[in-house]
Amino acid sequence: MDGVAHQLALGFLELLSPANAASLAVGLVVGMLVAVLPGLTLVMGVVLALPFTYGMGVTPAIVLLTAMYLSGTYGGAFTSILFRIPGEPLDVPLLWDGYPMARKGKPAQALGWTLVAALWGGIITAVSAVVLAVPFAKFALRFDAPEYFAVVAFGLSGVVALGGASMSKALVSLCIGLLLATVGVDDTYGAERFTFGVPILKDGVEYLTVMVGAYGLGEVLARMEQGFASPPMEGSGRIATRLPRWAEIWRLRATVARSSLVGLLCGIVPGAGATVGSFIAYGTEAQYGKKRDKLGTGIPEGILAPQVASTATVGGHMVPLLALGIPGSGATAVILGAFLLHGVQPGPQIFQTEARMVYTIFASMFASVVGMCLLGYFAIRPLVRVLALPEAVTSAFVALFCFVGAYSARNSTTDLWMIVIFGVVGYLFERHRFPVAPMVLGCILGPVAETSFMTSMIAYQNDWTVFFRRPISGVVMVLTILALAFPAFRALRQRARAKERVGTDAPSA
Amino acid sequence: MLAGAAYLYRSAGHFAYAPRPGELGPDVWPRAILALLMVVCASRLFGHLFGIAAEGAAADASVDDSAGADAPRRFPRLLVAGIVLTILYVLSMGTLGFFVATTLYLALFMLVGRYRRPVVIVVTSLVGSLVFVYVFMKIVYVSLPLGAGPFQQLSVAVLAAMGVR
Repeated sequence: MDGVAHQLALGFLELLSPANAASLAVGLVVGMLVAVLPGLTLVMGVVLALPFTYGMGVTPAIVLLTAMYLSGTYGGAFTSILFRIPGEPLDVPLLWDGYPMARKGKPAQALGWTLVAALWGGIITAVSAVVLAVPFAKFALRFDAPEYFAVVAFGLSGVVALGGASMSKALVSLCIGLLLATVGVDDTYGAERFTFGVPILKDGVEYLTVMVGAYGLGEVLARMEQGFASPPMEGSGRIATRLPRWAEIWRLRATVARSSLVGLLCGIVPGAGATVGSFIAYGTEAQYGKKRDKLGTGIPEGILAPQVASTATVGGHMVPLLALGIPGSGATAVILGAFLLHGVQPGPQIFQTEARMVYTIFASMFASVVGMCLLGYFAIRPLVRVLALPEAVTSAFVALFCFVGAYSARNSTTDLWMIVIFGVVGYLFERHRFPVAPMVLGCILGPVAETSFMTSMIAYQNDWTVFFRRPISGVVMVLTILALAFPAFRALRQRARAKERVGTDAPSA
Repeated sequence: MLAGAAYLYRSAGHFAYAPRPGELGPDVWPRAILALLMVVCASRLFGHLFGIAAEGAAADASVDDSAGADAPRRFPRLLVAGIVLTILYVLSMGTLGFFVATTLYLALFMLVGRYRRPVVIVVTSLVGSLVFVYVFMKIVYVSLPLGAGPFQQLSVAVLAAMGVR
């Protein structure tokens, strides 16, 4: 533990360097702006920031994106509570008590509770990332190809099963992503796959263009189809935050403890990110909270639970990302992309080879929590003024960011066409309610999955049962199957309940 | 999608490579994915044809939805205009250069997006393009397209005025 504390202290010192400190500050402000704007999602914001990191060192790049990720889980609370417009899907549960509290004439108190929740969730997330990452990485050092394949399969199945959308649509999205990752020249045999004689496809499909196109341009096109109907917000200049007293916070310690646990678990389980965490935490409060009957009327418990949980998921996601190289959410997939663009492969060895960088990232998480709360308390008034910008103007610039971002990666016009193609694909996904995250994760993790699968097959004479016979991979594969079976089980149970309801209603009709 | 997957499954059998004894070929992995895709598509199709709901209706109404808001009004013409404009932007960049193409794209995008304040449109698109040129060419060191003929001369003049070499 002393070693960890020492490394963390060095990380804090490293964070004081001008490049890291500037990245942190910019990341906090931009993350909050992105979360405040209803047209921009947190993941889209992180994607759009990616091109700016090309010229940076890897540490400031990851510090920037992580700061955006953390402050993005907090910024959307302001529009939810004050204007009943969730900046992010994860802010929807905040509407249910935050907005009624504001309507009762207590908007400053509602924002105060949000700040306390974000601070607590952030501290929990940073501490847990530091405490859990090293044991996680030590455990992962025992992994061979079958274990890696099993872990990747579990990560992808979690995203499919818990992503919030229909399972078959999520599976289709995942398969498309995995297929895109196979386009180009294959590593083992040098065979051209799905290039159809088109030279530019030999280099494969850049996952960056898939990400930026589908998340960025796809969302812009979807909003354009709706006529950029979100009206500019007025009255954003009256915002203030009033912190609750310590005694009031202490009274809600059970809510805070429950929501912290929910958030951490949702972070560690792939696919169950901040949105799922915030909904589950609210649901848990509705089931077990002392004031569950009053939820929805504007009580602090309904604000604390979702905000603590959504911020607490960040650390949970960072642990498997750093220790295994497996992202569990859209935002961490982008952060993994940033690592790879800088030639760093996250995994258990990173704690030995790049310890300084890892602990600087951890230190930046602590600093981000404090920074985002200070920003929320003192500087939110000018930040929220961005809501006065017309959506057509902000969307035009988002589209431009997409193109410049994709072009910057390889200075190739082909990537611009890829952005257009995946922008339309992203729009069609959005229109037909297919989730984008499985496709993006499939595209990023596809090569890892294929390599570990093929290596396992070569090492174990094409015996696929190896994935189930080895203890660690066997357990993970069983978890994968359970994760995939869970939605089917849930659907069957819902159907059985619906039948029961019909059966009980029938005699009275 | 089912037909497309079946076609790709078939074409995966024609990858040119030198087989190695006892090892799986480069077609195995993509074919496994395509098989899964076909199974999913077929089961969904089967569900629709025979009226079996593949999953609970609640699953489709994902948690991402904004608290059960009404279905928004849609303007397909705006969407088509946006896509056409975006395609024209990419097509014209080689000739017009980044600066001119971007200024036009931003301005037209705002107009197509039904924003009607000409002064704001002109100023934001012009200043926005200049900021992008400066940030990416001077700070991030990305070589953005300069265009051809007179547009190239214009781009070079703009860059020189901003101190970008």
